[in-house]
Amino acid sequence: MTDDAPKPVLRLKSQKFREARQSDWRALSTQLDKVERRGLGSFSIDELLNLPLLYRSAMSSLSMAQSISLDRNMITYLQALCVRAYVYVYGPQTRFKDVLYSFFVLGWPRAVRKLGGEIVLAFATLVAGAIAGWLMCAHDSTWYNVFLPGEQGSRGLDSSAEDLRKTIGGNPENHALSPFAVFLMTHNVGVAISTFAFGAVFGLPTFALTLYTGITLGAMVWLFAQQGLGFEFAAWLTIHGTTELFALVIAAGCGFHIARRLMFPGDVTRKQALREAGTLTGTAMIGVAVMLTVAGCLEGIGRQMITDPFARIGIGAVMLTIWGLYYTSVGRRKPGEGA
Amino acid sequence: MAKAGKRDLASDAPYGEIGRTATEILTPEGVVLPFINATFGERVGALLLDWLIMILAPVVVVIIWLILPLEHVFDGGKNKALGSFVLIVAMLFLFFLRSGYFIIFEMGARAATPGKRVMKLRVISHDGGRLTPAAVFTRNALREVELYLPVTLIFAWSANHSAGSWLAFLWALALLLLPLFNKQHARLGDFLAGTRVVHMPKASLSYDLVDLEGDRNLGLSFTPDQLAYGEMELTVLEQVLRERKPAVMKAVAARIKARINWVDPKIDPPGDETFLRAYYGALRAHLEAKMLLGRRRKDKHDAPV
Repeated sequence: MTDDAPKPVLRLKSQKFREARQSDWRALSTQLDKVERRGLGSFSIDELLNLPLLYRSAMSSLSMAQSISLDRNMITYLQALCVRAYVYVYGPQTRFKDVLYSFFVLGWPRAVRKLGGEIVLAFATLVAGAIAGWLMCAHDSTWYNVFLPGEQGSRGLDSSAEDLRKTIGGNPENHALSPFAVFLMTHNVGVAISTFAFGAVFGLPTFALTLYTGITLGAMVWLFAQQGLGFEFAAWLTIHGTTELFALVIAAGCGFHIARRLMFPGDVTRKQALREAGTLTGTAMIGVAVMLTVAGCLEGIGRQMITDPFARIGIGAVMLTIWGLYYTSVGRRKPGEGA
Repeated sequence: MAKAGKRDLASDAPYGEIGRTATEILTPEGVVLPFINATFGERVGALLLDWLIMILAPVVVVIIWLILPLEHVFDGGKNKALGSFVLIVAMLFLFFLRSGYFIIFEMGARAATPGKRVMKLRVISHDGGRLTPAAVFTRNALREVELYLPVTLIFAWSANHSAGSWLAFLWALALLLLPLFNKQHARLGDFLAGTRVVHMPKASLSYDLVDLEGDRNLGLSFTPDQLAYGEMELTVLEQVLRERKPAVMKAVAARIKARINWVDPKIDPPGDETFLRAYYGALRAHLEAKMLLGRRRKDKHDAPV
């Protein structure tokens, strides 16, 4: 060693570490700003391939920094940077096609099958409500006004068979049908979401709502039946009802499932049970929204254009068969395929 | 220096933010990432902003509709098809605001509604996995039972104080305030969907405070006995030096000098900031050197390393 050799600059290991790596961090930060402003679509192939490299380098810097540096500002910066990068690298970047496939072919029918028990319970509640509504109205017709207070006009107790027939006719001349369909869809989705969410209150409001839907159904069937219009009314109801009521029954089943897992979590912790229940029912509920959109179209457009009772019943039955086949057979695991 | 009571707050605080908790997520790379939990206040703020948007959006649309010269388009039953189209768009818009607003925005790449974006919040899956559409649907469907219903019930209670309404009121209040009673400030919908709302600050990389070369030229050096503090105090000292408030630096310098029996050099004594930076540099060099050997000193009450 000679005297004129420059003395090494006195620096900490953590400072050298930072100087060697900070350009990578800044590059990642710039890329993240770009993602947040313009999305991943604006990236070139090179930039896209480079992003995971920068991310891994930042992650390794963070884990290194935590064991060699006490510079709080640097560690804080790296944590925030890695957190920001993490949500983009492991974020929801599934292709749209895959999302559709995994929902329609796998997730939705499987979720509905898993909810089978609760759906049967919800269906039984609806049927019990319908029978009760019928029997109570048949016993004392004033119950009808109690159950359906808003129906005094065209569909009241005093309405003649002719009045009633008008309400279940079609309206093929009217052009403003699609708004009606959209209205029915939005209204029913709202009701279904409430029915589902109220399951979190130990399922009691879900039960009450489903029972009440059944009772009004039974009461109206009774009203039309006693005027000799039972078959026509059934046809009027069936064309969309098989889809709509099926959807509402699934929504109620989802509510019951949440209530059951909340009260009886089984072998797992309550937190874990709620999480499983939430994911399962969430998938089924997105399906319910799809079903109600179909039902809204059948009710708002199909029912108004088609007035023949046999055609109406036929469409309703076909829809029911399609839903039944879809839920029972689509997305079954092939034998030998793992869970 | 900091009082003993503050100690745990500072050392456990993620990102150096005192009084906040974090959801720790183990990434596939094996690094533990702390996601800062959103506070109750931030969440309420985001919700109020979203509500404001949901209320103002239809008002703005109606005003635009009135300003546009459209009064003759639908006169006398003309343009029926266009009319029903406008009606459909209007109904879908209202439906979106009532039921789809939160769901659609949170399914997007930012996983946040506009209100959440303003508050720098984001929805994540509790285990750091992918945020699924089902989870987003569930967490927002539950707003029905933990937000809209309680608010309705509380209005009903304020109109009528019967026993039943008291019960409903208490239950509604409990659901509404659930985020206050858990560390991650999660609401019922978050528990059901397995999601958490986190705060995503944008930290900036500041300069490094240590300048050992400069300190050596100034002739400021400390004996190992004088470096009598731990990592917690180092963090506080860093904060003091970054904020650069003269009064605080003066007080802190006086406390340190008293504790380590510092004697100012006769000629050209260093200023408070110069002294503190030199002391910070020396302390950090000392603690980091020991850290490399696996010996850490959490704070001044720990045994010296």
